[in-house]
Parts: sequence; structure tokens; C-alpha cells
Amino acid sequence: MALDGPAFDRAYRTYAARLRAVAFAVLHDRDAAEDAVHGALTRIWSSGAYRPERGALLPFLIACVRREALDTLRGQKRRHLREVRASADDPIAIDETAAIDPIEARRVRVALDQLPDVQRDVIMRAYFQHRTLLEIARETGTPLGTVKSRLAGGLRRLHTVLSGDHL
Amino acid sequence: MNHLDDDAELYALGLTDPERTVEIEAHLATCEECRARVVAAESAAAALAATLPPMPAVRRANPWWAGLATAAAVVFAATTALEGNAAHAASAQLQRTDTALVAIASSHFGHTTLTSQPGIIAKAIYSHDGTWCYVVANGAPRGAHVVMHRGAAVRDMGALDSGAPATLFVHNPGHADEITIVADNHVVAHGVPAY
Repeated sequence: MALDGPAFDRAYRTYAARLRAVAFAVLHDRDAAEDAVHGALTRIWSSGAYRPERGALLPFLIACVRREALDTLRGQKRRHLREVRASADDPIAIDETAAIDPIEARRVRVALDQLPDVQRDVIMRAYFQHRTLLEIARETGTPLGTVKSRLAGGLRRLHTVLSGDHL
Repeated sequence: MNHLDDDAELYALGLTDPERTVEIEAHLATCEECRARVVAAESAAAALAATLPPMPAVRRANPWWAGLATAAAVVFAATTALEGNAAHAASAQLQRTDTALVAIASSHFGHTTLTSQPGIIAKAIYSHDGTWCYVVANGAPRGAHVVMHRGAAVRDMGALDSGAPATLFVHNPGHADEITIVADNHVVAHGVPAY
């Protein structure tokens, strides 16, 4: 029996790259992004929080890392500790060619294109511009409840489309 | 507590406030229906993450937790008949990683940042049952040893390797009262594990 460390390392790094990308997209700071990944993984691994019934591991890890990064971002905003470089003027665009997995990125963009405009718009604002619900409501002049239901409905529809029911 | 409804998707997107997040996680522990809804939502959110560009080149070449991959590999190898074969397909590797990470993620281990001399960053990662301990140190003097204390007993567990970061994996260290790194008879880092 061999340890097969290199194979494990290669595969692990595939996950780590995804997780770092998630944190970096929110924080725009490499050290802060690494800290967010580290913080989330440490919390999960030291508490044994993950159970197989929570679904596949990678989506769970991505959600945890994103929550950690958003907490950091919002802490920074509250305390004004540093300038948040995620500018309000960042273009809303998905660059498939720059993605870690360009084929999956293209599949997701095609799926997003199938959503109603109002649902796609709130998802883009929430996921790619890291807006809070209140910020989206203010920016779009939409009641908070409508923002919530559009986001939730949009994500459910995205899941359905990606699952292949509508392709 | 009522079902989560739209909060399932908002939670998956990281948009619920901290107090609500705690409530949601408590609810998920007991409600299969809402768990399934969150799992689906997290899967869609993870798909969105797949469109993100990678983080630019890393400034810190070896964040300490990169060593966890090695720790995980060692733990996994110790508990699973893992065949080494460079020809394995990438998908098989990912599946194995999933298995290994699931094993780790659902096992209970702790970590402690050791109080260190300036220029040294050291952590200990250890299983709660005392079957293994993994010490990772950046900036420790070459040839430094890991020394564990338990009551009056002092045990030299061996030297850190010469990697960056330097590491030492210890099998069956038991429950130490204190973990130290010693160089030239001086303690350069020390910490108390919380089993």
C-alpha cells in the first residue's frame, strides 16, 4: 500500500483553488482570502460539522467559505478598517475563459441566460457584486420582500436548469 | 420552528444575518426537507462559483493549512487501503479526495496556534483521541525537535523535517498537556492542546 501523497495533493489543490477563488472574489485580497478559507475549513474540521446527509462536500465547503468571506467583508465595512476594493462600478460579467473550469463556467452562463431578467439581475448583484439584500432593494428600487423572493426563485430555477430538466 | 422557505436559498448565498444563520443551522440539523432544499441551493451557488477566476498568484507560498493536505493523506492512508497508482484517472482522484476529506471533515480534530518567538509561526493539529498529532512550523530553526509534556513526563517526538513549512507527524502521541518546539535546548514555541 502506498501513501499516494502526490495524487492526494493534486486533487486537494483542485478544491483549494476553488475555495480561494470564492473568497478572493469577495475580498479582493489574497491574505484575507486565505484567512477566510483557513477559518472556514478549521471551523468545519475541528467541529465535525459536515455530515454526508448535508449533500456533496464541495458545495458545502464553498457555501461555508463564502459565508466566512462575506462576514469578513461586512465586518470591514462596519468598522471601516480598510477600503473595500470591490467597487460599486465593477462590471457584471462572467469571464468564462478566466474560470478555473471554463466548460462548467460556460454551462452556468448558458443556464443563467435562461432565467427571467429580474431573477438573473438580483443573482448577479448578490453573487458577483456581493450586495446585501438591503443594498439590492435600494439600488433597484424594489421592496425587500420582492428582492428575497426573486433571489430564492432565481436560485431554485438555476438549480432546475443546471440539473438538466430544461436543457 | 417553521420551514425555511426562501431563507433556504438566501442562506446558501450567504445572505442571512448571523442570528438567523444560527437559527437556520439548528433547524437544518433536524429537518430533512429543508436540508434537501439547502443542498440543492448550495449546489446551484457552487455552480456560480465555478465561473469565478482563480485567485492571483499566492503571496504566501505555503499557508500553514496547506500542510493539512499531507496530514489528511497520512490519516487517510492509516485508515483506508489506498492504492498508490500514478495512472489513476483524475475523476478517480477527486472521488478519493472526497472520501478522504469526508473522513476528515466528519472526524473530530483540533488545532492550536503555538506561542512562538518572533519569526516563527507554528501550529499543532491533533486528533481528539490522541492517535496522531501534526506539527507545522514556519521559520523554526533547522533541526528543531517537537517535545511533548504530560504531567512530569517529557517526550522528544523527533525533529521537524527541513521542508517549508517544516512538519512532523507523530503517531499515537496520547494526550499531551503541552506541545513545544525546542531548538538548542531553548523552547522556541509552545502551546496547550484542547482535546
